[in-house]
Amino acid sequence: MAMTKTVWPQVRQQLGDIDKIEVLVGIPTFNNAGTVGPVVKAVKAGISKVCPHASVLVVNADAGSQDGTPEAIKHAMDPDTPTAFVQHLEGSLLSGPISLQALSESGVPGREHAFRAFFTIAEDLQAKACVVVDANLRSLTSDWMEVLLHPVIEKGVDYVAPLFRRARYEGSLTNCIIYPLSRALYGKQMRYQSGGGYGFSRRLASLYLTKDVWEGEGAWYGIDSWLTTVAVAEGCEVSQGFLGTRIQDVKLTGIELSVVLAQAVGALFHFMEAYQDVWEGRKGSSPVPQFGFPYEPGPVGGAVNVERMVRGFQQGLRDLLPIWEIILAPETLAGILALGLLEADEFRFPEALWVQTIFDFALAYHEKALHRDHLLKSLTPLYLGQTASLVLGTREGPPEDVERAIETLCKTFESMKPYLTQRWRFP
Amino acid sequence: MSTMWQEAMLEAFRETTLRIAHFLPKLLALLTFLALGVAAGWLVKVLLLRLLRAFRFDAVCERFGLGSSLGTAGTKQSISHLVGRLSFWLVFLLFAFMGIDALDLTTTANMMSGIIDFLPHTLAAVLLLLFGVLLANFIAEAALIATVNAQIQEARIIARFIRWGVLIFTAAMVLTQLGIAKEIVVAAFSIMFGGVMLALAIAIGLGGQSIAKDVLEQRLHRRKMEQDEMSHI
Repeated sequence: MAMTKTVWPQVRQQLGDIDKIEVLVGIPTFNNAGTVGPVVKAVKAGISKVCPHASVLVVNADAGSQDGTPEAIKHAMDPDTPTAFVQHLEGSLLSGPISLQALSESGVPGREHAFRAFFTIAEDLQAKACVVVDANLRSLTSDWMEVLLHPVIEKGVDYVAPLFRRARYEGSLTNCIIYPLSRALYGKQMRYQSGGGYGFSRRLASLYLTKDVWEGEGAWYGIDSWLTTVAVAEGCEVSQGFLGTRIQDVKLTGIELSVVLAQAVGALFHFMEAYQDVWEGRKGSSPVPQFGFPYEPGPVGGAVNVERMVRGFQQGLRDLLPIWEIILAPETLAGILALGLLEADEFRFPEALWVQTIFDFALAYHEKALHRDHLLKSLTPLYLGQTASLVLGTREGPPEDVERAIETLCKTFESMKPYLTQRWRFP
Repeated sequence: MSTMWQEAMLEAFRETTLRIAHFLPKLLALLTFLALGVAAGWLVKVLLLRLLRAFRFDAVCERFGLGSSLGTAGTKQSISHLVGRLSFWLVFLLFAFMGIDALDLTTTANMMSGIIDFLPHTLAAVLLLLFGVLLANFIAEAALIATVNAQIQEARIIARFIRWGVLIFTAAMVLTQLGIAKEIVVAAFSIMFGGVMLALAIAIGLGGQSIAKDVLEQRLHRRKMEQDEMSHI
């Protein structure tokens, strides 16, 4: 409610007599003057193709750009398209618990507040659909609007998650932990990719506003790490949209892997506690509708330093053993100890052992066996070991091998789910 | 002569009987206080143990690494059990002091007031010690995980150094709080801390130039190194 009070007067005075819209386009920005112009033009072109007669409101939530980003948006916008600016997301908007924005794919500070503002406005103006796109994209085309908007307006879908064409081992954290675990828990084959662009129905926007994710422990995690989880767990109509290759102006670099891991996995574990009643009863998984043009697996991306990953795992095994002894079950730990004897070239992390490791970490998080930040960050060497194993097992084969390996891993997660459910309530 | 002897005997007997008559109730009071101390101490211990178990105190201490620290120090009992035992002895000693006070001896009167005056300092020192151990474990664990994730080979040495640094600092604070050789403690701590820093500076300056160079280079070039690698999320 405080959010509505803060945002609404800012927006209301810019809207004149508009009191209802059909589509809301949200663009969170922070020093994106170089890319936001083409983004806005592509959005405009896309909307005029998808729903030419719909009433559209473009809302820019700017986190205090110093490079004239709002002016660039004004310049790129058609004067006939209603546009609202929520400037300088600070004061009461940024008050409350500090969220770790490190994971924000777009690098926009105050991203959660920007989304909250979009959802609030969408609810107040009774928008049918809400699309949020990042302003730092160089690969956004008008086709994105069709993929993100059309399913919501025409098919009654609540949520369209982005699906990008990625290089072979890109997004390994998502592929090895987030996707398989979420799929096993909630039973939906969403790839859990994040950032770039999303499509929401008003129902889902309103639902997000009512959830306990904006304050408290939920707000510690970046919004991109929980948008999909909440939509799936709440039983909304979810889908995925193929958006091609994502090219960003600013890449997410310089952030420690352990911080990114703690954010993404921490959010997943946090929502496991919140949605315990939902996931405990779900078995297997089902595919979700996909929109756009499917594409082949991506080519080999940047350099992957497998030796460094194996060294990271071995050092973890040597130095973090007392911590892992608290977290892992004795049989899991025994399996991991045996991996320490393998040479770098023949290093393989058995799937069942990896699944058991992740489940043990989830259980230890639930039981608060260790300080949660320490627990999550101590998973990093094990994750490096799993990634090294994936790379070593598939690097000689075609790109499809990686997809096959991920699918096998997902099925192992699903088949071993009773290990988790049995221990969750009665440790 | 015989009358005088008799009077002296009777007087001595009367005085001794009177002293014993005066002292016996005090002794009885001491014994009663001791018995009460045992009973009250046991009761407090049992209640405290139940309370700590209800709040999963041992699990909380384990989370902060206190359990493993005590294990390293050779203690095999759980922390809640130790707290229970401590509470028993504290209550028992309180009652014992009351009993000793009841004896009404000049020497014990001074001792008792001294002990009671010192009690707040002791409690503060115990709390300081507990907080210091928890903090040392917590920071050392965080440092260990961070250095392992950064693939620094000396991770355990760094973590151990941090743990002992905080523990030594805590010990100095505890001794100062207790007023034990205040000046010596401050001087010893300053000398030791300064000495360690000087030794480190000399070690890095003479023997570890290349390590320092590597660490700085790695730090400065980290951005480039990470750009070469894949995106994990």
